[in-house]
Amino acid sequence: MSDIRHSLLRRDALSAAKEVLYHLDIYFSSQLQNTAVPVVDKGTIELVEEFIFHVPKDRNVQPKRMNSLQELQLLEIMCSYFQEQSKDAVRQIIFSALFSPQGNKADDNRMAMLGKLVSMAVAVCRVPILECAASWLQRSHAIYCVRLAKVLVDDYCSLVPGSVQTLQQIFSASPRFCCQFITAVTALYDLSSEDLIPPFDLLEMVVTWIFDDPRLTLITFLNTPISANLPLGCLDLTPLLGLVRWCVKSPLAYKRNIKPSLSNGHMGKLPREMPDSEGGDRDSKPLYSKLHLSVLQVLMMLQAHLTEKNLFGRLGLLLFENVAQLVEELARLVSELNPLNATKETELSLDRLAQALQVAMAAGALLCAREDLRSLCSRLPHNNLLQLVMSGPVQQPPHSPYQPGFYPHIHTPPLGYPPRPASAAHSTLPTHTAHPAHNTHSPHPTQTFLPGMNFPYRPIR
Amino acid sequence: MSAQGDCEFLVKRARELVTDDPWAAKAWLITARTLYPADFNIQYEMYTIERNAERTASAGRLLYDMFVNFPDQPAVWREITVITAALRSDCQDKHAQFLRGLFETLPGRVQCEMLLKATEQCFNTLEKAEMLLLLLRRFPESVVQHGVSLGETLLDAESIEDLESPVNCFRKLFVCDVLPLIINNPDMRLPASLLYKYMHKAAEFYIGYVTRGPSADSALQGTQEGVGLKSPGGLRGSQRYVIDGLTEKSSLVSEPWERLLDILAIVGARCEWQGDKGSRSYVEILQRMKELCHYLPSLEGGDTFLLPQPALFSLRSSRPTTPPEQCPWIMLEDLASVYSEAELERGSNKHAHKKRKLADGREKTMSSDDEDVSGKGRGRHILVSKAEMPGWADMLDSFRTARESWDLLHSHEALETEFNRICASWKTDSWLWLRIFLTDMIIYQGQYRKALSSLHQLASFQPPQQLASCHYALGEYRLACEKVLEVVGGLVPQAPSPGKTSEEVTRTRTKFGKGADLRLLPCTSKTIMPFCLQLLLACFKLRAFTENRDDLALGHVIVLLQHDWPQGEALFLKTVDKICQQGSFQYENFFNYVTNIDMLEEFAYLRTTEGGKVQLELLPNQGILIKNPSPALGLVSQEFNTLLLPGVQSADRHHTVTRGITKGVKEDFRLAMERQVSRCGENLLTVLHRFCINEKIILVQSLP
Repeated sequence: MSDIRHSLLRRDALSAAKEVLYHLDIYFSSQLQNTAVPVVDKGTIELVEEFIFHVPKDRNVQPKRMNSLQELQLLEIMCSYFQEQSKDAVRQIIFSALFSPQGNKADDNRMAMLGKLVSMAVAVCRVPILECAASWLQRSHAIYCVRLAKVLVDDYCSLVPGSVQTLQQIFSASPRFCCQFITAVTALYDLSSEDLIPPFDLLEMVVTWIFDDPRLTLITFLNTPISANLPLGCLDLTPLLGLVRWCVKSPLAYKRNIKPSLSNGHMGKLPREMPDSEGGDRDSKPLYSKLHLSVLQVLMMLQAHLTEKNLFGRLGLLLFENVAQLVEELARLVSELNPLNATKETELSLDRLAQALQVAMAAGALLCAREDLRSLCSRLPHNNLLQLVMSGPVQQPPHSPYQPGFYPHIHTPPLGYPPRPASAAHSTLPTHTAHPAHNTHSPHPTQTFLPGMNFPYRPIR
Repeated sequence: MSAQGDCEFLVKRARELVTDDPWAAKAWLITARTLYPADFNIQYEMYTIERNAERTASAGRLLYDMFVNFPDQPAVWREITVITAALRSDCQDKHAQFLRGLFETLPGRVQCEMLLKATEQCFNTLEKAEMLLLLLRRFPESVVQHGVSLGETLLDAESIEDLESPVNCFRKLFVCDVLPLIINNPDMRLPASLLYKYMHKAAEFYIGYVTRGPSADSALQGTQEGVGLKSPGGLRGSQRYVIDGLTEKSSLVSEPWERLLDILAIVGARCEWQGDKGSRSYVEILQRMKELCHYLPSLEGGDTFLLPQPALFSLRSSRPTTPPEQCPWIMLEDLASVYSEAELERGSNKHAHKKRKLADGREKTMSSDDEDVSGKGRGRHILVSKAEMPGWADMLDSFRTARESWDLLHSHEALETEFNRICASWKTDSWLWLRIFLTDMIIYQGQYRKALSSLHQLASFQPPQQLASCHYALGEYRLACEKVLEVVGGLVPQAPSPGKTSEEVTRTRTKFGKGADLRLLPCTSKTIMPFCLQLLLACFKLRAFTENRDDLALGHVIVLLQHDWPQGEALFLKTVDKICQQGSFQYENFFNYVTNIDMLEEFAYLRTTEGGKVQLELLPNQGILIKNPSPALGLVSQEFNTLLLPGVQSADRHHTVTRGITKGVKEDFRLAMERQVSRCGENLLTVLHRFCINEKIILVQSLP
């Protein structure tokens, strides 16, 4: 390793970086022939940090720096490298070797380079890099994920108006990346302050993605082995909690941020105005309404997946603590606002909260008893639906064939369905883990109710 | 709070939201459904939102859920009724199409169940049958279970409702819609007897349909409707015809004969008496039946029963379907050879022979009839103008096939009995096309006497020129002439066609065709007028050239020879020869109807010394003066004025008493000739038409 280092030291910054990439390729390719899980050793990390991210190894050596042009050239080289390397495993390990945060001073440079690379990959639609980035977003700590998301949001949703279209289009190229990206942005924008309200373009894009294909939000979940131990502090498996937070908090959060002068004469209406510079007069209310519906639909779909994987009642995708935190945030928001000024908004927020809680419980995504909810929500103002959800449905007459609180038909394939199309859809599932090249629509089980979706059968003519 | 109260609250909130925020409304309902999955109203509300927005897939999915979970809800049945009604109707509006699309999104099993249950709820037999038919069409496997019983239901309904005509709504549904499904289903095991019954029912229907008249009951009693009615095989399909209980559109059966033949082919294949299923041409069917007839004594009763039906249908082929705008074709004697001199000899001999026999009164062994019967028409050619009838070869083939079928039907007693039985039950007497075929066939066989009686029965439906043709063939020239003049009376003279290509085609064929003496002609003024003129010529030709002098007949011949000039040039020269031999010729109508310049020239020449100084009495007054020298008639100064006015002649017209001086007559003749030359450009057909109309009485009277 030190031989390589010596030879690299003699080179200029760009060619040294290229040489490192070349070295990594050979090194990991040969490792992968011997072992399924190659190890990224310390020496390699150091090499990368010294010659690609230019963090000096010792104080004696003057760090070489690349100028902007050289940096662009390097990014291009990386882009082409990942595009041309046909082995997914090699790509993944090299991406990991390059960009896995190490918790050292190189991370800033690393993140800066990663941000530029992914942004570039979005611009020129380099699917392999987006797929690697999706994996990276799954493995890395949420702090880093949020940083990457911020770079992309800044590049595509804030800097140049209209450039969001470019980002929006990667939906068809890499749904997996989109799913992780949504999780990251919902983690980033938690509506806790004015700055953390999602930009309108971002919101619109996310809503369009999910409304067009709600299954998008479940891609990571469906492609992750359940047994896998998730790295500590990483993003959630689904963006569901973040999306629920958006929907539930948005009426009050927007209300809080609106300037008092603007609300005059607009009583009874939700704030239409965005405080953001780029979306002053665009109405985000219907977007949240659509998003909320999509979230409920996704939860309903989830029931089928959980049942199918025999996980119903055993895996809570929405953790009770997280929900409790959300309720806490909501309570704080309500108390921040004068409740009398925000009756409608409060009502809407609470309606959405109640709906999300009820559907999540029914779908098996939230595992808790209604008593737990009662104590949890006691701080919130009264709401009819929330009351109904907390007390649960009135028991059905005993002869009813239905189990209370559980809707049997719409999510599980009814008996006697033509089995072939459904099973064909299922059989595509394992391929996701191997090679997640998704079409927009086909690879998921389609037996769930979705507007605009076809049933998994063909009518006989 | 009660469960019902909860549900009402939830649905109410959704309804309040649906116009302003449909997503929120749906979110409420999704939530509501997880709380109260057994509540119908929640799901119905969800369905209503999707249906009103015409979102096919999601509405279909919800309907499916309701159908499975709430099969007894009246609201579900209302929906299903609306949807199945849309399926049965041919309405093309957007909503109907949405409803059909909605149905299509349902899984097959549910569609099947839905239709079955909807059927159970129908009380009207017809509606029920239509509903079940939707099921059978979609799910061939259901035909095995329901096909035959549906058929029986329909046939029962027919007898319960006491419907006389086989063309009724139940039979239509059975024959056109249900039966093909039954017999085409490979999983159906059908006994031969049932197939024969179906075949019979189908035949009754299609034949009834084809032969249905505007006056419904009997085609023969129908009112005269011009040529359209004479069309054999009922091209009245173009008329609007509504079967009671059905819409106009579903009353329409396209190509009934083809469909019947399809059924015949399938039944044949299923009974394994027709060989290959694909072959279904009449000729092949006939061939197969001929083979079968060899084994007739050993055939089972059912087959004997069945055989006449296909044979009968093959008769149908004698008249291929003509498009409605076309006129019917009729079979007539071919008279194109009338202009030839050879024909004269042959014709006169033949008929002299016949006449002799007629005189003997030996009707039974008489005449050409028997001779031709023995020959079975072999050697008789039927001419069709290729230009007028593009499919002439097929037509003649079909006619032959039909004749052979007919012979076949009468070749075995068992077949004949069965055939007669079928004819009686189907009232084939009233089938115009069959009657026409039979008439054509006996004409072809030369049994003109029989043909005449058949034609008289057909009465107004068959053009009189066919009668005329038969009379002519029998040597009954006067009757032939009468009929022909009747025909001409109904015609409107046409402008002469510039190129007579069609005629020439026929003529060349005549030369080569040895015994060509029948032809098929379309019933149009354009073709009928020439035929009539030829027939008249044929009648008078024989009379004009007998030993006895008959100037009147000779004159008529000259007038008629103008048509198709110079076809009859040779014959005209023969008449001129005869006139020269006679030394004189008297024909007062000459200047009325002879406008042919060649003829006029010839006659002018005849008067000259070089021409033989034939004494020609061609002016009306001349003849009468000589024949009938009564001074009491007429006035002095009328001269020729009347001569050139057509249509005012009569036997005793006025004339100048004091004329008679040869020189004066000569001058008159010269003047008349000059005037006549100026008439050469007149429409000859108009002149000849006038001739036929004005001289009708003389023409008829001058024939024996």
